[in-house]
Formats: sequence, structure tokens, C-alpha cells
Amino acid sequence: MKKFTCRRLVPFCLRHAVLAGFLLVTAYPLVWMALTAFRTEGDAQARPLGLPRQWVMTNLAEVVRSGDFGSAYANSLMLCTAAVAGAVTLAALAAFAFAQLRFRGSHALFLLFLVGMMIPVHVTLIPLNRLLGVEGLGIKGGLTALAGPYIGFALPISILILRGAFAALPPDLLDASRVDGCSAWGVFRHVALPLSRPALATVVIFNFLTMWNEFAFALTLLGPGRETLPLALTQFKGEHDIQITLTSAALVLVVIPLIIVYVFAQKHIIRGLTAGAVKE
Amino acid sequence: MTSHRLTPYLFVLPALAVYGLFVAFPILDSFRMSFLHWESPLLPPEFCGLDNFQQLATDPVFWRALGHNLLLLVGSLLLQLPLAALLAFLLHYPTWGRTVLRTAFFAPMVMPTAAVAVLWQYVYEPGNGLLTSLLRMTIDQEFSHAWLADPKTALLWIFVTICWQYTGFHMVLVMAGLSAIPTDYFEAARLDGASEWQVCWHVALPALRPTIAVSATLSIVGSLKYFDLVYLMAGGLPESSREVLATYIYRLAFDQNQGRYGYGSAVAVLLFLAALAIVTPLQARRLRCGGAERTAAVGSGGRAA
Repeated sequence: MKKFTCRRLVPFCLRHAVLAGFLLVTAYPLVWMALTAFRTEGDAQARPLGLPRQWVMTNLAEVVRSGDFGSAYANSLMLCTAAVAGAVTLAALAAFAFAQLRFRGSHALFLLFLVGMMIPVHVTLIPLNRLLGVEGLGIKGGLTALAGPYIGFALPISILILRGAFAALPPDLLDASRVDGCSAWGVFRHVALPLSRPALATVVIFNFLTMWNEFAFALTLLGPGRETLPLALTQFKGEHDIQITLTSAALVLVVIPLIIVYVFAQKHIIRGLTAGAVKE
Repeated sequence: MTSHRLTPYLFVLPALAVYGLFVAFPILDSFRMSFLHWESPLLPPEFCGLDNFQQLATDPVFWRALGHNLLLLVGSLLLQLPLAALLAFLLHYPTWGRTVLRTAFFAPMVMPTAAVAVLWQYVYEPGNGLLTSLLRMTIDQEFSHAWLADPKTALLWIFVTICWQYTGFHMVLVMAGLSAIPTDYFEAARLDGASEWQVCWHVALPALRPTIAVSATLSIVGSLKYFDLVYLMAGGLPESSREVLATYIYRLAFDQNQGRYGYGSAVAVLLFLAALAIVTPLQARRLRCGGAERTAAVGSGGRAA
């Protein structure tokens, strides 16, 4: 590193000032929310800034006691785990065919999947409500109703990322396993999958977070009592709008676990969420 | 690979079936429904040709909604992207707490948009919200402003929230682009006596063109996907000021049991065609330039706006 001179010091300070300013803008709303969750309602009305005059756990306790968030966590966890497993399995199979097997129409089929990435999911809100409703499959209202659309819309990006990984496998290795008599399934199962763990992890993270945070389908397809976490949060806000401390406590319960996971796995999560846009 | 001719199709079939049923079929179905006069779930639909589209042409709410999508797009291209690039450039130099800053700036991307909306509704709360309280403390003790209730400016404050959530994402993209530029480029320019400003402007920025193209494409595609934030934060506004295309579809079909499936589908069809019209040329260009792998993913997931 070069020596500091006055000519360097000014830009150095300016740079850190801008960065610190943006850090403040990013972090302060979250910190404020966390602090509000520990205030009394009167304190929040009279002195909304600064540290709480009196730290209370009653808000958090009340949100936990209301019970909705426990079941919302369970719902989100079940749904996302199942849908991610489904999406990654289907995507890996298809991506392997696109990367390693020759067949007629492969290019057209691949393009068909790619189109899915560009489409705003909201185009399908009305038809999916008909498809999953009583006139169709009859599963609207339950958690299972979300699995189909979640998997369907997760496939394009997943196939794209995994196809890239499968296409980059060393050809010699694949040839060797073929010579040894591996079937296509054998190569997929015993060579391609184990060697593509990083890409699989990326796809799992991307899809899990996207599904965990999804709102529009949950809003239109879920019935009462089957809320996923984002939906439960907005409904809680609707019911307790004027109690800022209570809603902040709910926000803390939804956001803090996510932030903690993020802090520990930030490298993987950032790579996962920017996958496809950043070349590995 | 020792495999039957049909084997590849067996690999693709499960994905294709799910994709067909839950993505492709609904899109085609929305085309069909857009030709129906279907104003309530209780009434039988009737074929009405292009009536819905004719009605859309003179529907002020539709045009305003489209305008809001465009405004948000222009905002993200002209303000959010440069801000993201600026932060990435600043972080590219040796910086105290570089990793911490990067992690912090990206953090809002991990939150559910619904949670971001709830948080920022309180930031903009007219009584004791964060912004109001800060202004009361610093400028005027009596300050009060209903940030999200004023139709003229509500979209601007929602845009600020969008920037809060997504700037870090674009910053990470630009950072990745910057670190991919060989350092020799910078060293050579510095040896030739270029100032840091010139290095950034004349060396780094041109080399970043592909990255910026990706970022911009993401913003463009994402601009048609705004829903959560606008639906949750602009709910209190009059009908003509609160919609983007996606929220308009939702409100036509589902809000207060309106059930205008036919008309809503017409909006959906236009949204679909707009997405296709915007993305196809961008995509074709990228494919021609051989950057397919890099940018084919740009529409991903609807998270990147």
C-alpha cells in the first residue's frame, strides 16, 4: 500500500464518508425497527428515536403467543423445502440432457424454458387461480397449490445454471465412464451430480430464498390459516397497523433469523442471488 | 453415452410437464381469457373479440399504470445504477471494512419484499415514523407529512425504497465486473500519468460495458415485475395513482371480489407481450455476441429490479 500524503488523505476520507453515509442509510431503518420492537408503545409514540427508555420483551412475547408466526414458519419451511427439492431434481435432469445428450429439438426446448425467465409471474395469476381452483385441480387454498407454480417458475434459471455446470465437466471423464459402460442415467447420477455440487448449492440457495420471499402467488392462492411467512407478516401489519411496537416485533421475528443466516453464509448467498448475472 | 434414442426426452420430460402445466399453459390461457367478456366469477364468460383491448386503449388507469412502470424503470437506470456503480468504484480501492460494507449493502436483497414494504411503511409513517421523527428532530418540531398518501410523490418514495433494496445487488454486479478487469490496465494508465478520475472514467468504465449492460437489462426486465412493494405501499392512494401493471391485474381480478378475469387477462397479455418485446432484441443481441451464458439469466426470478 502506498504511503499516505495529504493529496491522498482527502480522497481517502471523502470515500469513506460516502460509504459510511450509505451504510447509515442501509442499516439505520433495520436498527430502528429492531429497537422499536423492544420499546413500550408509549415510548415509541413519544420518543421514536434513540435507545428505548425501557427495554421490554412483551412485544416479542405477544407476537410469539399469537401463534400465527409459528405456523407460518412451519408452512414456509415445508413448502420451500419440498418445492426446492422438486425444482432442483427436475432442473438437473433436464439440464443434463441439454448439456450432454444430443437429441432433436433440444435447442427449441431449451429456448422455450429460457422464455420463462423473462415473464413477469403476474401474467399467470388469473389463469393459475382458475387452474388450481375448484373448476381445475381443486387444490387452491392449500399449501400444495403453491408448489406447482413455484417449481415451474424456478425451472428456467435452474436449468440454465446447471446446464452451464454440466457442460463444463471434463469430457475425458465422461468418455471414460461411457467406455466403462455407464448408461446416461449412470453418468448423471454418479459423475455429473457429484461433480457439480457448487452449482447445485447455488441453485438451491437462489430458489430457496426466492420462494421463501415470494408474495404474489401466496397472496392469491392461499386460503386462511395457510399463510406463508411474508403473507402472515403483511396480514399482521394489517391487523395491528397502529401498534408500531408489535409490528416491529413481528418484523424482527421474520427478518432477524434471515439476517443471521445471511451473515454466516453471505458468500454463498451473494453468489447464489447474483448467479446467472455474474460469470463464475 | 450408451443410451436409447428416447433417453434424452425422458430426462427433459418431467421438467417440461411441470413447466407446461404451470407456466406455459397459464400464459396461453390468459390469451384465451383476454378475448372473453367476463366481469364476474358468477356470470358465464362470453366471447367478445378484441373488446377488452379496445376498452384498455381508453382506460386512464391502465395508461397511468404503464407510465408508473416506465418511471420506475427510468429511475433505476438513471439513479440507481449510477449510485450502485459509484459505490462499487469506491469499494474497489483499499477500504476499511470492505467485506462488512459489501455484506451490509447487499443485506436488504435477502429480505422478503413484503418485509421491506412493512418496514418502509413505518419509515414513512406521518406521525412517529423514522423519517418524520428525524426531520422533527433536525429541522422543524412540528413537521408532518403523509409521505405515502400524496398521489403526486408517493411513487418517488416507493422508488427510494426500491433503491434501498436493490442498489447493493447492482453494486455487487459492478464489483464483480471491476475485479475481472486486469489490473495492468489501471497500472498502465497510471504510469502514463492518468489521474484516478481518468482511470475510472476512461479505463474502467469502458471495460465495464458488458457488466453495465447486464445490470441495465436486469432493471428493464425487473421494471415489469414490480408488484409487492407497490401493492403494499401504495394501497392508500386513489385508484389512478397507485397501480403498476401487475398490481392492476391483481386488483381487477381479485380485489374485493371484482372478478374481472377477462379484462384483467387483457392487461396480462399486454404485460407478457411487453416483456417479450423488450427482452427478445436484448437477448438476440447477447446471443449474437456470444455472451449467452452470461446474460441469458437476466430475467431470473423477478427479484432483480
